[in-house]
Amino acid sequence: MNDRTLRVVAALVGLVFVSSCSESPDARSEVVIYTSVDEIFARPIAARFETETGIRVLLVPDTEETKSTGLLNRLIAERARPQADVFWSGDPVRAAILKSRGISEPYQSPQAEDLPTLYSDADGHWTGFSARARVLIYNTDLVPEREQPTSVMDLVDPRFRDRSAIANPLFGTTSMHAAALFQVLGPERAREFFERFIENGGTIVSSNGEVRRRVAAGDFAIGITDTDDFNVALLEGRPVRAVYPDQDGMGTLVIPNAAVLIAGAPNPAAGRRFIDFVLRPETEQALAESEAAQIPLRPSVPAPERVARLSEIRAMSVNYTTLGDELEDLSAGFLADWVARNSE
Amino acid sequence: MISPAALERPGHWRTIGVIAGVLIVSSPALPLLQLAFDGSRGFDIGAGFDTYLARSFKVGIGASALALVLGFPCGLIAGLYRFPSQNVLLALLALPLLVPSFLWAIGLSMLRIELGLSPESLLSGALGTVMAFAALGTGLVLFATLLATRALAARAIDAARLAGGELNVLRYAGRATLPAGAAACLLAGLISFADPGPGQILGYSGAGTQILVSFAALFDFELAARQSLAITGIVLLGAMPLLWILGRHLSYALLPQSMELMRPRSHAAVSGSGPFLLGLVLMITLALPLAGLVWPAFTQLWLERIAEVAARTAGNTLFYGITAGVVATAVAIPMVICATRTPRLRLALLVALMLVFVLPPAVGALGAILVASAAPAWLDPVVRSRFTVAVVLGLRLTPIAAIILLRAMGAAPPSWAFSAAIHGVGLMTYLRKLLMPFLARPVAVSIVLVGLVATADTTTVLLLQPPGRDSFPVAVFTVMANAPESMVASLSLAYVVAGALAASALAIWFNTERSGSGR
Repeated sequence: MNDRTLRVVAALVGLVFVSSCSESPDARSEVVIYTSVDEIFARPIAARFETETGIRVLLVPDTEETKSTGLLNRLIAERARPQADVFWSGDPVRAAILKSRGISEPYQSPQAEDLPTLYSDADGHWTGFSARARVLIYNTDLVPEREQPTSVMDLVDPRFRDRSAIANPLFGTTSMHAAALFQVLGPERAREFFERFIENGGTIVSSNGEVRRRVAAGDFAIGITDTDDFNVALLEGRPVRAVYPDQDGMGTLVIPNAAVLIAGAPNPAAGRRFIDFVLRPETEQALAESEAAQIPLRPSVPAPERVARLSEIRAMSVNYTTLGDELEDLSAGFLADWVARNSE
Repeated sequence: MISPAALERPGHWRTIGVIAGVLIVSSPALPLLQLAFDGSRGFDIGAGFDTYLARSFKVGIGASALALVLGFPCGLIAGLYRFPSQNVLLALLALPLLVPSFLWAIGLSMLRIELGLSPESLLSGALGTVMAFAALGTGLVLFATLLATRALAARAIDAARLAGGELNVLRYAGRATLPAGAAACLLAGLISFADPGPGQILGYSGAGTQILVSFAALFDFELAARQSLAITGIVLLGAMPLLWILGRHLSYALLPQSMELMRPRSHAAVSGSGPFLLGLVLMITLALPLAGLVWPAFTQLWLERIAEVAARTAGNTLFYGITAGVVATAVAIPMVICATRTPRLRLALLVALMLVFVLPPAVGALGAILVASAAPAWLDPVVRSRFTVAVVLGLRLTPIAAIILLRAMGAAPPSWAFSAAIHGVGLMTYLRKLLMPFLARPVAVSIVLVGLVATADTTTVLLLQPPGRDSFPVAVFTVMANAPESMVASLSLAYVVAGALAASALAIWFNTERSGSGR
C-alpha cells in the first residue's frame, strides 16, 4: 500500500515539474490586458480582437465586489518591469493615477480622432471611450411616481430618511463620484452632503452591485449606482427604475472607459493595436448593445433604445485629468475618516 | 557517511532548521513587511485602526466560540463511533475548507434578501460575519478533534469504557482532544482577522478591511505593511496566554500516543443521534449560506458558461492546487524532522507558522510581485509563472502540512534510526528505504489537503497569476459584480459540487487507506 502511495506522490511531483518547465513565459503574438471592466463585458471584446487580428489576448480581469486588492496595486508593484501591455480601466481616475505614478505611456491613437477630447487625457496617457453614468436607482414598489428622485441631493432628503444607500466611497466608481462632487460643489458643500447623508439615516454598503441588489430587494428605497449595474437589475425583472440625476442642475457624472498603454510594456505594438481596436466605433456599438448598456461617446454610433445618448444627458462638468490626484488626497483624508466614522 | 542516528540526537541543528524553515515560509511576505520600517512616518498604523481591531476581535471570538460549540462534539462523536451516512456528512462539513469564504457571505446575504429579512437580522452585520467565518471554523475544529480522537490509544479507550461505560469514554476522549479542538478554534479566529471578504459583504468591517483600504484605496503599501504587522503582534499577544495553557498538551497531542490506535465502533445510541447532530450542524453552518448561494441557479442554470469557464480554468486550478500541496509538504518535511523530537521546538514551530498564516494573503502576493519586478527577465519562468503562484500558495499553507507531518513523524519510533545506525545503514538509505515509505501516506494526505485548500484562494491567484491563467474561483470572483445572479449561482454551484466530490473522494480514500493499513 505504501509503495502505491509513494508512486502516486512521485507521479504528482513529476507532473508539477514537467508542467512548470513547459510553461512559455512570453510569445510575440500575444497582448496582455489588465482590465477593471467586468469580465463578462470585456471578454467578448477581447475575443473579437483575437478573431480579427490573430493576436492572442491574455486577459486579467478584476472585480469590485468584495474589493480585491486590485490590479492597480499589481500594476504599481510591477512598475519596474511590467507584464501588462494595456490597462483597460472602467473609469478615468485609475488611469490618471497610473499617469501620476509614471506607469503609463502617451499614445495618440488614430481611432481617437472623432472621440470628444473632454473625456481623454490632454497628454495622451489615457483615452476615453464608451461611458457609464452614475444614476439614482429606486424601487418602484417603495417610491411612488410623484416621489421619484431627481437629484443626488435627494439622498439626503427627509422623504428618504433611513431608506437610502451608497457604496463605500473609498472604492470603485463611487470614489470617483465623491471626488467629482468635491470638484463641482466645492469642498465645503461636498462635506456637508456626506455628513447630511449620515444624519438622514443613509447606509454605506460594500459595492455598487450591493446597492443594486438591496434597492431591488426593498432594503432601501433609493441608492446611487452605475448604469450597467442598473441594467442587470432591469434585465432580471426587478422592480427598479433609474434616473439621470441633476438634469436641471450640476448634471450627471459620466464615466468613460479609459485605455492606457503601459510604460515599458513587453508588447507595445500589440498593445497599441488593442487600444486602436477598443477605440473604434464598432467597439462602442458592441458595448452599447451588450448587457453593460454603455453610452457611446460618438454621436454617430448606433445604440439600442434603452441606452441613452450622450446628447440627451446633461453631463456633470468635471476636469477628469485632475480627478485622480484629488481623489488620492480625499481618500487619505476626508473620505477615509468619514467611512471610518460611519460604516458598520 | 552520515548516520541515521543523527536524526534522533539533540543539537543546535534542530533550532537552526526550524528558523530556516520559518524564514522560507515567510519569505514572500518579507519584501513588503520590510516597507513597514521605511519612510519617516514611524509606526503609524492609521487613525481608527484600533476600532477595527476591536471589531475583528469580536468577530474572531464569536466565530471561534461558535465553531468550538458546534465542531467539537461532532468531531468527538465522529471520531469515536461509526454511524450511517457518516462519510457523506463529513465530506459535506469539509466543504467550507475548500470554498472561498466570500461565497458563504454572499450566500447569507442573498438568502436574507430572498427571505425578506431586515438588514439587522441574524444573517447580516456582526452576527452574519460570525456565521460566515464559523462555517470554516466548525470544519477546522471538527476535523482536528476527529483526528485527535482517532489518535487516542485503543487501550486507553477500552479502559475508560470498562471503568464507566460510554459516558466515561466521552469524558476521557473529550479531555484528551480538547487541546487539539481549542487550537483549531484559535486558528479559526485568526483566519477571520486576515480575511476582509465576509465583513465587507455583510456590513461589518474589521482590521482586514482596513488593510484592504490601505492597499486598494490609498495604494499605501507601507501603511498596509505596518497594519499587517500590528495584527500579527496583537494576535501573538492575544493568543499567548491560550497557547501557554494549551502548549504542552498541544505539542503532545500532536504526537500519536500509541502505535495501536483506537478504532471507531458502532453504538445503538449513536446510530440515530450521530447523523442528527452532524446534520444539525450542517444545517446551521452550511445549508443556510448554500441555499442562498445556489438558489438562483434553479431559475436558470448556465451550463454553457460553466463548461466554458471550467475548460479555461480547470488545468490552472489543478496545477495551483497540486503544486501548492507539493511545495507545502516539501517545505514542511525538513522543519518537522528538526522539530518533532523537541516539545519546545514543536510548539515554537506551530506558533511561528500560525503568525505567518495570519498575515493577509495580499502581503505575500505583493511581496512576490516586488521581487519578480526586480528580477531579470530570464528568471521569469521561476518568478512569474504558474509555479510562482503555487509556491506562494504552498508556503502560506505550510502550517497544514506541518501539523499532518508532525503527527506522522512522531509515530516513527526513534529506535528505527538507532537500529539502522547499528547495522551500518547510511542516512540516505534510511530515508529512502524506511522513513520516506513510512511517511508516504501522510505526505499524500498533506499534498491533497493543502491542494484542496489552495484551490479556494482568490487573492494570491488574482494578484500573481500569469496573464490568462486564472483559476475557477477567481473566474467566479471576477464575474460576480455585474453578472446575473443566476450565472454567479450556477458557477458557485458547479464549484461547490466539485468541492463536495473532491472531499468525498478524499474521505473514501482515507477510509480505504485506514482499513487497508489496518489489515
